[in-house]
Order: sequence, then structure tokens, then C-alpha cells
Amino acid sequence: MKRTLTLCKALIINWVRSKSGMFFSFLFPLLLLLVFGSVFGGSQQVRYSLHVLNRDLDSSGNPTNLSEALIEALNSTKSFNLVLAPSNVEPLEYIRNNTNPFSSNVRLLIIPEGFQERVIRGSFKGQIGVMITFMEYSLKSLSGNISSKNKTQIRKGLEEMKSVNQSLPDVKGELTLLVDPSDPNNNIIKGIIYSVVNAFSFKLIGGKEVVTLKTGNYTVKTYTPVDYYLPGYIAAFIMTNGVMGVTSLTTDFKRRGILKRLITTPLTKMEWILANIFSQTILAILLTLVMVFFAWAVFKVTALPGFYSWILIFIGSILFSGLGMVLGGLIKDVEAASAIGNAIAFPMMFLSGSFWPLEIMPTYMQLIAKVLPLTYFSEGLRFTLILGYPQGALLDFVVMGCLAAIFIFLASAVTCWREK
Amino acid sequence: MITMLAIEVSELVKKYGEVVAVNRISFKVFKGKVFGFLGPNGAGKTTTVEILEGLRQPTSGSVKVLGYNPSRPEEASKLKWKIGILPQDFNALDRLTVKENINLFCALYGNRISAEELIKLVDLGDYKKVRFYKLSGGLKQRVGLAVAMAGDPELVFLDEPTSGLDPRSRRETWKIIEGLKELGKTVFLTTHYMDEAENLSDEITIINKGEIVAHGTPEELIENYGGGKRLIIRGDGEVLNVLLGETGEKPVKVGGEVRVPFNKPSEAVKILEMLSLKGLNYDFEVEKGSIEDVFLKLVGAKITEEGELK
Ligand SMILES: Nc1ncnc2c1ncn2[C@@H]1O[C@H](COP(=O)(O)OP(=O)(O)OP(=O)(O)O)[C@@H](O)[C@H]1O
Ligand SMILES: [Mg+2]
Repeated sequence: MKRTLTLCKALIINWVRSKSGMFFSFLFPLLLLLVFGSVFGGSQQVRYSLHVLNRDLDSSGNPTNLSEALIEALNSTKSFNLVLAPSNVEPLEYIRNNTNPFSSNVRLLIIPEGFQERVIRGSFKGQIGVMITFMEYSLKSLSGNISSKNKTQIRKGLEEMKSVNQSLPDVKGELTLLVDPSDPNNNIIKGIIYSVVNAFSFKLIGGKEVVTLKTGNYTVKTYTPVDYYLPGYIAAFIMTNGVMGVTSLTTDFKRRGILKRLITTPLTKMEWILANIFSQTILAILLTLVMVFFAWAVFKVTALPGFYSWILIFIGSILFSGLGMVLGGLIKDVEAASAIGNAIAFPMMFLSGSFWPLEIMPTYMQLIAKVLPLTYFSEGLRFTLILGYPQGALLDFVVMGCLAAIFIFLASAVTCWREK
Repeated sequence: MITMLAIEVSELVKKYGEVVAVNRISFKVFKGKVFGFLGPNGAGKTTTVEILEGLRQPTSGSVKVLGYNPSRPEEASKLKWKIGILPQDFNALDRLTVKENINLFCALYGNRISAEELIKLVDLGDYKKVRFYKLSGGLKQRVGLAVAMAGDPELVFLDEPTSGLDPRSRRETWKIIEGLKELGKTVFLTTHYMDEAENLSDEITIINKGEIVAHGTPEELIENYGGGKRLIIRGDGEVLNVLLGETGEKPVKVGGEVRVPFNKPSEAVKILEMLSLKGLNYDFEVEKGSIEDVFLKLVGAKITEEGELK
């Protein structure tokens, strides 16, 4: 282990001291973030298209207040381009009619008939609960000003309210989201809708008095382009560092006999592989910290990487340094290695939804994105780092974890520690 | 039994497809000695060295290095702790300093020896903080020598340690290699420089086209194949004509000087007396045979500075 860490440290120092290494690992991603963050910052948002079919109409055929409020709340996140479908259409037919192969998938959110009524009935229970709490609170703090006779009456009333509340059924308004299962953005869309609906029901339960009395208001987090770019860039450049950096390091070390020199020391193959993984992990951590700091300092985007973000970053470092070692092990020529590294890294960057939403790409390109590991890395980081919803990244963790294991296995197979 | 042998190779063959790089060679290297492995480019030197180091697999034959068989992975990994290597075309991590590089290798061997000590050994004190890529070829090679000693090895392989260096750097490298011998290390030195082999080696093995041509101490080789001693005489045209006309042996004229081979000192004295009696002006020196002559005699060609046969 000590040998691994010493070598890891040496590799990092050697990398950080190279101007081009520094440029591509830190400066370039930072510049991208600053440039694109500024160009698209503020006004323009990254928006996903979302069709809404509102079937909750009142007796005169107008949308109910509550369904309109929900649509407004969704709109206020600035995450969606909302398209209202005529209330009488058949959902699947509507989707069919609005799909064309060159635009993104249609996703349809259905607000069912009777939504308002069910939500009100459901939240009524919640509201009574809040009112009871409020009155108990008032009774305590105002007790000096209330006569004991009144007090007894109020208490009696409270008891009655409690028993009524308990007898009310639990009803909920249910929304349906129809999506194409192959759409890679599904989880993100679900995540955002989920957070809106949560905030929305919180407000409903809160009731007017309590909300104004205690806290004032909730806000639904809105997402800016920087929120989108930040995890995408972090993921993309951890990928390029691995695929391009490790590949060229391995071929260069091979060509110049440095690897041979290392092989003839007691260093083992596993120690060499681990040293590469660890050095990439540390570079990835540094990159993340730099990016997060600048996103906060310049764009006021607070994205604090938590436990799951770090785990994902570690898995990403393993995966892409593994891929780099596989390429470096297979390719002899330094120039060919860098060409192949580029040929893998750049298309992956642009096709994976790290730089722009898959949303705006044609469907067939979205299908390509689905087989690129970087897509899962970016998406996973978006969930853990920005949305704070690691459950949504389950698939990403699984896909990345499996790929990481596969690439490390392959890296070990193609790294030649002695002539066969 | 305590063996005096550091390396024992017998009937070693290495083929790369159709190419036979090493063809049934056998030799022994004694502990504490400098073993010179001399041959032109493509002779099979690196192939042999890397088989001894465990980097390449022999096609057939047996190899023992410090009692281990380097073609077995488990034995090779034990052997790694006991040998030091300066590969042909040594390179280290470019943007680490001299000291950081040496430190790295010391650490890989569990810090048996301090970087400072090695820096002193190869006299790199003034360059400790210079990054590797900024060093001249000679200094890089010295880092390589330091790194070869990082595990405090019993046996050191130096594969063409002075190739491409200027004469001064070569002499400095020679001094370091002599220092290694004084430390009691066994040194396996491959080279295509005849003077290097002659000056540094206790024993020389000459290899050409994968086969061993001759073996012995430098003195033995010169004695046997060096063509004896020669008188070299320089003078004006008349001197040269007299010599060519009158000596019994066949002198060789090489650009303005005449070489006259002799066996006994009295023969040499006779020739010089004869010239003096004729009142001629001349200059002379006595030349011994060298490894160069040995090689010329055995292979029928010389090795150029670049290592090619000519
Ligand atoms: N990996 C290899 N694959 C195929 N042929 C090889 C390989 N390595 C060496 N050879 C061939 O084997 C022969 C011996 O090469 P080797 O490198 O051992 O010579 P050398 O004495 O070290 O020469 P040099 O002074 O050029 O280093 C040469 O003909 C060379 O072309
Ligand atoms: Mg060689």
C-alpha cells in the first residue's frame, strides 16, 4: 500500500506540473463552466418539454383552481416547457400524433378528473390537524386573556375536531406521467415533478394561517443552466482525464521504458493499477472542488457534494482510469493512443448529455447516449449533487459499478508485467 | 554451499518468431566482478540482459541469477529485490526533480537506502532540484545509475550505460561504475564500446549475431587475439621508405606512419638503431594490442561509435 501511495503521489505531481495536464484537467472545464454559465446564465433555463393533459374541469368546463395551481407550480420551476393538451384527447393517441423521429420524446403528465376534490379531501384532514396544533398553541400563549369557561369550551371543541379528523379517510390526488421508457431523462423529469408535488402538498396541508404565521413561504428550487452544466462538466472531465490522460501516460511510460523500469522494481501490477486509480480519484476530487467552488462564487449555485456524490466520483474515476489503462495496454504507439483516446472521449462528451440536455437531440442520438457510460455518470451526479435525490441515481450507480469492475478486470488482463 | 557465481547461463536460446536473437550461449559471472558483455548493435545483448532480469522468457536453455530462475514468476519477484537495473534508454518521470525521482524508487524498495546517499554516490548534488526532463543525457544516465542502486542490490545490470554520451560524461560514468565495484557489487555491463569493456571489465564476453565469439580477461583476450606489440614510427617520406624497404617483417603503412610488429624488445631496439645510424629524424611509440584488435581479428570488422559493424 505504501508503494501504491508513493507512486500515486509521484504520478499526481508529474501530472499537475505539466502545463497541458493542468489546462485540460482544471482550466479548460472551468473556462467552459464560466463561459457557458455566463452565456446561458440567468434568463435562459435548461428546460425539458412536458405535455400536460388536464382532465380536472369544473361543472362549466374550466380547469379547477387547484389543477391550474399545480401547473403554475410546475411552470415556476423554470425546468419545463409546458404544452397543454386539449382536455378531451385520448392520451396514447395524443402521444402518437405528437411524436416524430427527429424531435425528442413526448412525455405526458395527466391530471385526472376529480383531482381537486380528492386533494382537498385529503388535505382537509391535514388542515384540521394543523388547525388543532395552532389552537393548542394559541390556548397556551394567550391563556391569560381567556376566561376559564371559554377555555373549557375551546378544549371540548378541540377534542371533537380531533375525533372528526381521525374518522376522515386518507385520500390523495394521483398524477400519471406517461413516458417513453427509453428516454434517458425520465428519472430527472420524475425527480423534478416529485419535488414540485412535495412542495405543493406541503403548502396545501400547511393551510393559510399557519404558513403565514410561522414561516412565510416555501420556495421550489429552480434550476439554472449552471445546475445543469456543473455535474455534466465534472463528469465529462473526469472521463477525459481517465480516457485521454491515463491512456497517454501508459503508452508514454511504455514507450520510454519508464514502465519497464517500474516493472523491474518490487512494484506489483495491482499496485500500479491502484496507483493510477487513486491518482485519478484525487484529480477528480480536486476538479470537483474547484468546479463547485466557482459555481458557487460566480453563479451562486450551491451544490455541496455529499456522500453519494463522492462515491459516484470514485466509481467514475475507477471506470475511466480502467478504460484508459485498457487502451494504453492495447495500443503501442503514443500518437495512435492519443488519437484513439480523443476519438473516444470527444464524441462521448458531446453525445452523453453532459454538455447539453439529451432533450434537444434527435431520438436516435439519445439511443446512442444510452450506451455511453458518461451518460450515467452525468445523470447520477445530477441526481446526487444537484437534485439531492440519490435514490433517482440507483440505475446510474449500478451501471457504473458494473462497468468499473469490468474495466479494471480488463485493465489487469492487458497490462503486461512480464513477457508471456 | 557458498557459491561464487552470481549468474550462470547455459545453452540459452531466444527466438523472436524466425529471428534467432540469442543462439545457445553459455557463460558465468562471478560475484564482485565487473562482467563486460561486448557486442555490436543487434548482437543480442539486451535480449540476454532482459532474460536475466526476468522481463523476457527464454526459448530454451537454463538461467540462474543469484540462485533464482528468473523465468519463474515467483522466483523473479524475489529476485527483483536483489538486482538493480539501468535499462538501455533510461527515462524517469519527466516533471519530477532528480531527488523526487530517486526518492520514488527508494520508496519502491522500502527505503533501504536514502536518496541523499545515492545522490552523493552519483555526484548529482548540484542538480537535486532540477526536473528530470531538463537534464542532459549524461546527467539523466547518472539518475539512472542512482535509481539502479535504489534497492541496494547485490547485482547491477547496466545496459549500454554510456551510449550516446560525450567523452567527458562517459569518463564520469566510468568512475561511478568503478565505485560500484568498490562497494562489492557485481556488475553486468553491456556495451558496444571496446575501450569501455577493456577499461572497466574484469572479464569480457564478446557476442556477435547471438553467438559468443570469445571470453576471458581483457589481458587474456589481447594476449590471444590482440596481435602482439607494435612499434609505431612517424617521420618524413624517407624514413617511411627505408622502413618499408629494409625491415624483415612486413610493416603496415597507415597514413604517415608505419607499424612494425615485434615480439622481443631486442627486435624493436634493432629497428630504432638502424634508423638512428642513418641519421634520420623520426618519432616512435610502442603500441599494445587492444580489444579493438581482438574484435577485428575475431569478427573481421570494427564496431563504430554508433555500434554498427564496419
Ligand atoms: N521484441 C522483439 N521482437 C522481435 N525481434 C526482436 C525483439 N527484440 C529484439 N529483437 C531482435 O533480436 C536481435 C537482438 O536484439 P537486441 O536488442 O538483444 O540486441 P542488442 O545487442 O541489445 O543491440 P542494441 O545495441 O541495438 O541494443 C535483433 O536482431 C533485434 O532486431
Ligand atoms: Mg540493446
